[in-house]
Amino acid sequence: MNNRYEELIAGYFEGNLSPEEDQMLQQLIESGEIDLIEIEAMRQLHDQLDMIRVPQPSDEMSKNFYHMLENVQDKKSGLPNTLNSIATWLNEKLSKLTVARIGYASALIIAGFLIGATLNSNSEELEQLSGEMQSLREMMMVSLLEGPSTTDRLRAVTISATIPEADSKAIRALLFTLNNDESVNVRVQAVDALMRWSGNETVREGLVKSISHQNDDMVIISLADAMVELGMRQSAGEFEKLMKERELNELTKTKLENSIAVLM
Amino acid sequence: MMKVKQGDVQKLALLYERYNRSLFSFFYRKTKESQLSEDLVQSVFERILRYRATYSGSGPFTTWMFSIARNAHIDHFRKVKRRKEDELPDEERIAGEVPTGYEELDERNKKKVLLEKALDMLDEDKREVVILSRYEGLKYQEIAEIQGVTESAIKVRMFRAMKDLKVFVTTLSEEYNHE
Repeated sequence: MNNRYEELIAGYFEGNLSPEEDQMLQQLIESGEIDLIEIEAMRQLHDQLDMIRVPQPSDEMSKNFYHMLENVQDKKSGLPNTLNSIATWLNEKLSKLTVARIGYASALIIAGFLIGATLNSNSEELEQLSGEMQSLREMMMVSLLEGPSTTDRLRAVTISATIPEADSKAIRALLFTLNNDESVNVRVQAVDALMRWSGNETVREGLVKSISHQNDDMVIISLADAMVELGMRQSAGEFEKLMKERELNELTKTKLENSIAVLM
Repeated sequence: MMKVKQGDVQKLALLYERYNRSLFSFFYRKTKESQLSEDLVQSVFERILRYRATYSGSGPFTTWMFSIARNAHIDHFRKVKRRKEDELPDEERIAGEVPTGYEELDERNKKKVLLEKALDMLDEDKREVVILSRYEGLKYQEIAEIQGVTESAIKVRMFRAMKDLKVFVTTLSEEYNHE
C-alpha cells in the first residue's frame, strides 16, 4: 500500500476527510486496491482504544504545583530567600544539638529579628500578592464547583483547603454545593471544607440550615459531628425535626440522639 | 498564556487547572507510573514558566505545551539512562506471560488488556501519535509540529500504528489463549 493510501485511511480514522478524499477512498475500496475488511478492523480498534483508562493524579500533584507557584511569586516579589534558607538551616542543625540549646535559641532570635525586619519592608507587596493568590484560588474553586464533573467539584472543594480566609462568594458557593450537589462525596467534603472557616458566622448558620436539606445518612452524620464540634445548640432542634420527618437508619438515629444529648 | 508571558505568572494556575489531567494522562500512558507522571507534569509547568518568553502565540497553546512535555519525557529518560522498550525488536517486545487473572475476564476486559499490551508494544513515535491523536484530541497537523515532521508523515505513522496494533492484538490473543 502506498503512502497516499495510508494517509487517506488515517484521515478516515480521524473523521476528517474532505468530500473529494472520501470519494477517492470509496473508489479505491470499490476497485479492491484498499481492503475494506482490513481498514474496518483497524477503525474498530481505533474506536476501542477508548476502553483504556488512566488513573487520576493525586492531590499531592496540585499541592506541589501551588507550592512551586508561591515560591515563584516570592522570588518575584524579591523576598530574601537567602535569609529564609539560613533560618531553616539553623533550625535543622541546631535542633539536633542538645548542648547547644541556648545557642539555638539565640540564633533563632537573631534570625527572626533579621527576617522580620526585612519582611516588614516587603510586607505590603507580600500582602497584595497573597491576596491575589487567594482571589485566584477562590475564582477557580467557584468555577469548578459549577462544573458538571464530580471529580472537578471534589477538586474545587480540595482547593478550598488552601484558602485561609474565604470571602462571601466562596462560602456561598460551598454552602450551595452542600445543599444541592448530587454527589454524596462532594457534600461530605463540603462539610469538612466549611469547617475550616467555622469561625465565620455565615458558615455556622449555613451549616445549621443545611441540616434540613439533607437526605443522605453520610452527610447527616458529618453534619452532626460538625455541630457537636462547634457546640451549635440551635442545631439540636433541626436534628430532632429531621428524625421526625425522615426515615433514617438505626445507626444514624442513634448517632443523632447522642449528638442531640451532647448539644442540649 | 500571553498573560503569563507578560509576567502575570498567577495565570499559570488557570492553565494548570485546565491541562494538568491531560498532561498526566499523556505521561501515564507513556510511562505507566503515577508518581513519575506527576513529577513530569510539575516539570512541564516549571519549563513553561522558564521558557515563557519563547512562546509566540502563533499556534494553539496545546501544541507548544505538548512539545515541552515531549522534551521533558525525553530528558527524563536520558537522565536515568533507562533502556527504552522500543529499542527492542518487535519479536522480543511481545510479552510472553499471560497477565494474572486474564482467563477469568469477560471478553470486553480481555480485549482491553490486549489493547493495552499492544499499545505498549508500539514504537515510541507511533505510540505518541496514537496518544496525542486518540486520547488528547490533537489534529495530525499539530502532532506534526510537536514531532517536527510533516503532516503526511504523521498520517502514515498513524496508519502504521493501527496496522501494528492489529497484528499485536492478534498475536497476543493467540498466545494468551494458547497458554
